[in-house]
Amino acid sequence: MDKSAVSRLLGRLLLLASAVLVGALALGPVVLKGRVDAFYGRFISPPAGSLILGTSRAAQGIQPAVLTAQLGQTWAGPLLNYAFTLTHSPYGPAYLRSIQRKLRPDVTNGLFIVAVDPWSLSLAGPEGHFPETNSFIGQLQQVSQKPNLDYLIRYQTKPLYRLLLDYATAAERLHPDGWLEVNIGTDSAQVRARTARKVQDYRRLAATHHLSAGRLAALRQTIRFLRRHGRVYLVRLPMGAPLFQLEQAYQPDFNLLMRETAATLAVPYLDYSTQPYATTDGNHLERAASRAFSQQLAADLQRL
Amino acid sequence: MLFNSLHFLVFFPAVVGLYFGLPPRWRELLLLLASYYFYMSWRAAYALLLLATTLLDYYSGYRMSQLPSKRARRPYLYLSLASNLGTLFIFKYFNFFRAAAGQLASGLHLPAAALPAFGLLLPVGVSFYTFQSVGYIIDVYQGRLEAERNFGRFALFVAFFPQLVAGPIERGGHMLPQFRRTHELDYARVVSGLRLMAWGLFKKVVVADRLALLANPVFNNPRQHPEGPLLVLAALAFTFQIYGDFSGYTDLARGAARVLGFDFNLNFRQPYLSASVPEFWRRWHISLSSWFRDYLYIPLGGSRVGPARAYGNLLAVFLISGLWHGANWTFLAWGGLHGLYLVISTWARPGRERLAQLIGLAAHPRLRRGLGMMVTFILVAYAWIFFRANTLSDAVFITEHLLSGWSSLTGRQLGILLLDFSQHYRPELALAAFSVFTMLLVEYLGRHRSPQAWVAAQPFAVRWSGYVGLTLLILYLGIFNSTSFIYFQF
Repeated sequence: MDKSAVSRLLGRLLLLASAVLVGALALGPVVLKGRVDAFYGRFISPPAGSLILGTSRAAQGIQPAVLTAQLGQTWAGPLLNYAFTLTHSPYGPAYLRSIQRKLRPDVTNGLFIVAVDPWSLSLAGPEGHFPETNSFIGQLQQVSQKPNLDYLIRYQTKPLYRLLLDYATAAERLHPDGWLEVNIGTDSAQVRARTARKVQDYRRLAATHHLSAGRLAALRQTIRFLRRHGRVYLVRLPMGAPLFQLEQAYQPDFNLLMRETAATLAVPYLDYSTQPYATTDGNHLERAASRAFSQQLAADLQRL
Repeated sequence: MLFNSLHFLVFFPAVVGLYFGLPPRWRELLLLLASYYFYMSWRAAYALLLLATTLLDYYSGYRMSQLPSKRARRPYLYLSLASNLGTLFIFKYFNFFRAAAGQLASGLHLPAAALPAFGLLLPVGVSFYTFQSVGYIIDVYQGRLEAERNFGRFALFVAFFPQLVAGPIERGGHMLPQFRRTHELDYARVVSGLRLMAWGLFKKVVVADRLALLANPVFNNPRQHPEGPLLVLAALAFTFQIYGDFSGYTDLARGAARVLGFDFNLNFRQPYLSASVPEFWRRWHISLSSWFRDYLYIPLGGSRVGPARAYGNLLAVFLISGLWHGANWTFLAWGGLHGLYLVISTWARPGRERLAQLIGLAAHPRLRRGLGMMVTFILVAYAWIFFRANTLSDAVFITEHLLSGWSSLTGRQLGILLLDFSQHYRPELALAAFSVFTMLLVEYLGRHRSPQAWVAAQPFAVRWSGYVGLTLLILYLGIFNSTSFIYFQF
């Protein structure tokens, strides 16, 4: 073997690798601050003492910082918003396992806000088959590891330039406490267009999904598990009128079902579904509304 | 193991290091073991199938080499063909023909035979390595090629990892002598191979996988997107996606082989710059089209027979080529469509010449070529709709709606659709256009002079700045979470 060719080649490749490494350093702050995507930050935070659970509605709609500021640290901290999306965190065995991994096992005085809506308890296919099992919610074993290489390698799906762009524009920002801040246009025409699309999406869901006994059982199991670790509140978040009407048409008895579930499990049920908070798309509270709603929630929790 | 995976990023340098570090007598064994490891990373058990057909082909070839006449060699040819084509039929076509027979029986109100469906997965790359083996066996049978006596070398010829799962489909006469030679590490060659791999990776993860974001939602649910402009956009996106995907894979394969000291044949030569469909097939997936030409079209009589028979041969070859791509009516329709294009192109050639003379186009060869390129591109892009559609009825639906909705091209529908896309993937649409433009520009400039040679002639600083830039582009713009290469399914 020509040793000079080998050393020349290795030298040049090292040079290339160094230059690429320098170019890749731009990603450092993004990864270190956990601003990789809308989920990663929740998997690098330490195990939580209290949790906010649900789908994207809760992820964007409930701000742990507001609750903490208003209620004081009267429960085991830190309070983490551990709600993801309808695809990833509907109630089911996978989400429950992930919650169990994230919660500190020694906690006895935690605060647990369990956000519910008909969609997070619905299923498209046959009972017993929960698609989220194959997502990071079902697959990720280490949920409190910094950096979380397993997540970065297997589940970070954006091209890297998008990490920088999203970081720079901060259109979507996951706070260290798990609250997902979304800064998108809120003028009425934009909101109307997004709401129309969202309603169309959810109409399709309504046509293909059914309220799932398996998911309901998993919700009950989740509440029972959390009750061993502190106080649990079942909450239905506010939404825009068109989506509420659709939810009513899809599951007219949903509130009744939740009240019964809450009563059976001896936890309070707080229904805000008809309260007039501004949304960005009929489904998710806009930033200011999310703050106002979190304040109202904190005030109501104080009263209970 | 995908070429664009972390697994390959570890595997390939390890193989290269070991290959050049080992004494020459161990290198073939190393490549063989590495190739089987590469294959087994998909489904280990299927390596047994590969080994079994390799053993049979080796035996058939070896036996044929000891027999003087074609007549005596024929049983071994049939044995090998039966094992290769039988494997292909069972794993790839059995369920398709079973379903087709069932539909036919039901249409004719006949009782359908109760054949059970075959539930095994299609072995990855089976169509490629089967055709490579069949080509070898026919060459040995015809006396064009000496049979390989060394079993390990023959097994390496069949399973060589850079081209095992998606080609190029190589010939024994081209590869076996290369396996017999000792390859020393050659700096210029390694750099050239790595350059080709980087370019292939760019085409795959920056161009093709980005275009898939645009094409997939439409092709996976065309009835939700009945607007002609969007369907055309999706068809165009797929047209460039499949080129970026497959030619990118081929560049990766050729580059990896080149690093190790081997040369694969060119598989693509600026196909979308073709001025006719026959020319397109001389530039697209050259290893497959030349395989069909040499082992099917010419033995059928090729163009030396009467026109009707020649047209029949063309149609048959392209229908089989369609079926080779997949056991689905969509592929059959795609093959049939190309067969039809070729028949019409051949039949109408004298008329086209006369027309060109008549309207004066013959005096403007560049304009004529440009028009030819445009028409060919449209025909090829239209045929890709059948290739990509999930069902024949989807392809028909897309065809029916291609021309609808153009009156509101700048209106609400397209606006919403593009807005929807750009909201989900903000700069992706612009990046898709930029990446396609870059790919086509390099291809265009490479018509007369290889881009490789151009890059190699640049000063050190320019060259290596380019390498760093390309690597960073791949790193930052690449989409690394996609599924495998399109041609892996074949």
